[in-house]
Amino acid sequence: MNLALDNVSYHYPGSTQGLHELSLNVCAGELVAVIGPSGSGKSTLLKLVSGLETGHTGRIVFGGQDMSSTPVHQRRMGMVFQSYALFPHLSVLDNVAYGLKLRKVPVAERHRRAQELLGIVGLASYAKRDIGQLSGGQQQRVALARALAIDPLALLLDEPLSALDASVRGHLRDEIRAIQQRFNATTLLVTHDQEEALVMADRVAMLKDGRLLQIATPREIYQQPTSRAVAEFVGLSTILPARVSAPGRIDLGFAELFADTGARAVGTGLHAMVRPEHIQADPPPTCVNRLQGHPGAQRYLGALTRYDFEVPGASKPFLAESAVPAARAIAVAPEHIRLLDH
Amino acid sequence: MANSSVSGKYAGNLDIGNHNVIRGISLIYGVYLLLPIVLLMVGSLGGSWTNTLLPTGVTGQWYLDIWHDTSFRKAFWSSLVVALAACAINTVLALPLAYSLYHGARRGGALAARIVSAMPVAVPAITLAFGYMVVFNTDLAPWLGTLPLLIAAHVTLTLPYLTNTLLADLRHLDLGRLEQAAATLGASGWQQFAGIVLPSLKQSLLSGLVMVAAISVGEFGVSNLLTSFQNRTFPVLLLQAFYGATGFACAATVILLILAGASALLSSSLIKARP
Repeated sequence: MNLALDNVSYHYPGSTQGLHELSLNVCAGELVAVIGPSGSGKSTLLKLVSGLETGHTGRIVFGGQDMSSTPVHQRRMGMVFQSYALFPHLSVLDNVAYGLKLRKVPVAERHRRAQELLGIVGLASYAKRDIGQLSGGQQQRVALARALAIDPLALLLDEPLSALDASVRGHLRDEIRAIQQRFNATTLLVTHDQEEALVMADRVAMLKDGRLLQIATPREIYQQPTSRAVAEFVGLSTILPARVSAPGRIDLGFAELFADTGARAVGTGLHAMVRPEHIQADPPPTCVNRLQGHPGAQRYLGALTRYDFEVPGASKPFLAESAVPAARAIAVAPEHIRLLDH
Repeated sequence: MANSSVSGKYAGNLDIGNHNVIRGISLIYGVYLLLPIVLLMVGSLGGSWTNTLLPTGVTGQWYLDIWHDTSFRKAFWSSLVVALAACAINTVLALPLAYSLYHGARRGGALAARIVSAMPVAVPAITLAFGYMVVFNTDLAPWLGTLPLLIAAHVTLTLPYLTNTLLADLRHLDLGRLEQAAATLGASGWQQFAGIVLPSLKQSLLSGLVMVAAISVGEFGVSNLLTSFQNRTFPVLLLQAFYGATGFACAATVILLILAGASALLSSSLIKARP
């Protein structure tokens, strides 16, 4: 079912935090990841959609029906919390069956359904266990099964992997995505981990200060961020202030480079962004956009080394990645310089 | 290398020395704590005990005397009634109080929660008793010495303890989060409270009530000032017994000790049993 936020605003009393005229559409079966720094309003967004927080203006629409005034317990939102929020006095099976019990589903049927969902999340043999006997990753799987059991209109994942070890996180990330696709669940994933968003989402929405900065596919938001805030938050990059010095030329202060300046007027101030993988190490002397300097800090990552490259006059080093760090010079192809107007 | 091994050995010796000092202090403290109890036990079984270090003769007569003493039996029942009534009223009051403090505290009512927590420390029980004596000794409310007033005093004394126990558990379990989870799964406010909050608090409620009962049964200061001759509680009668036969009083104290000890054990085992 389609989920749409239409011009939603919300203000926490006595603070400037909240959401400002946010519109967002999540198609049926789509996973939209909402990312942003803390205080960006991403958790507020999820609370408003779930109904845990109320008092917004604008509309929150599921399948054409405005849910704004529906109380939380009647909204049928499957929510997964960062802290798992499993009921400690209930067994694993009863946790999963809890929503069905509230819906007066007969015991045999709800246990069958809960057992089936536990099988899907890979915990079929854990049904009779206590919650305390499960690891964090297992608990979050139970939470996912519990949320899916009520056949939710949408799945709301609130930082579901943030409390887990890195080793568990990567695995569970794939699993949650696979289950979400299997159920064709319309899903909002709130996370501060941009990598998680890129890996899992069909589209990524970036929030800052309660406003939607950009919503796009992971590929697009990484390759074509529309603003500096998005470029800084998603992926690694070097961002430097620049000025259009001539059509197709930008001036960084310490060097002049070729770049696609489009229709921008000469003299326009902007920022230039370069991804580390687009920096060429020790190019031939005839190469365009060649910058001389020397390497700084290096981080060995196995196949690649990520390193700083100091260019005299630059306010900060370029962040680059290559099998062998550059010794004397780097170059950036003009098409790989992304210009950010704001 | 040699140097470091020498210094290591030296540190080890120092460690053992420290250890022995701590053991010694613990031992002295243990004796200091246990000696009165041991003396009470000895006294309760001793025949005659006047102007000697230890009583002479062995007898179970004092326990039998207590068994046959109607005033002691009456005091025992008074204590039990007061304790059970305090438990019942506490349950009815503390559950909603702790629950609303938990939710209110997040909306800025933290001060109220702090006052409730600090009350038993900040306000001496004797203040309460004097207050009661002033208020309930008037023609308007002449209830000094009645059982209901004593129960009310015990409730007031023990309520903060139970409320604190429940409040700590509400926070520890992060019950607000669990309620949110239940709400998204379809639970109404009442279903969240009955299905999630109450069962989660069951154990802390039980252990808190045992504590309330133990405090109430052992409470002396307020009870001594508020009771009449008719409904004296066990500790109040106990003091009066000490003015008579020592062995008799010792035996009565041992009974109180066993009661309080049993409830303390029960309470701690309930807390331990929690997953």
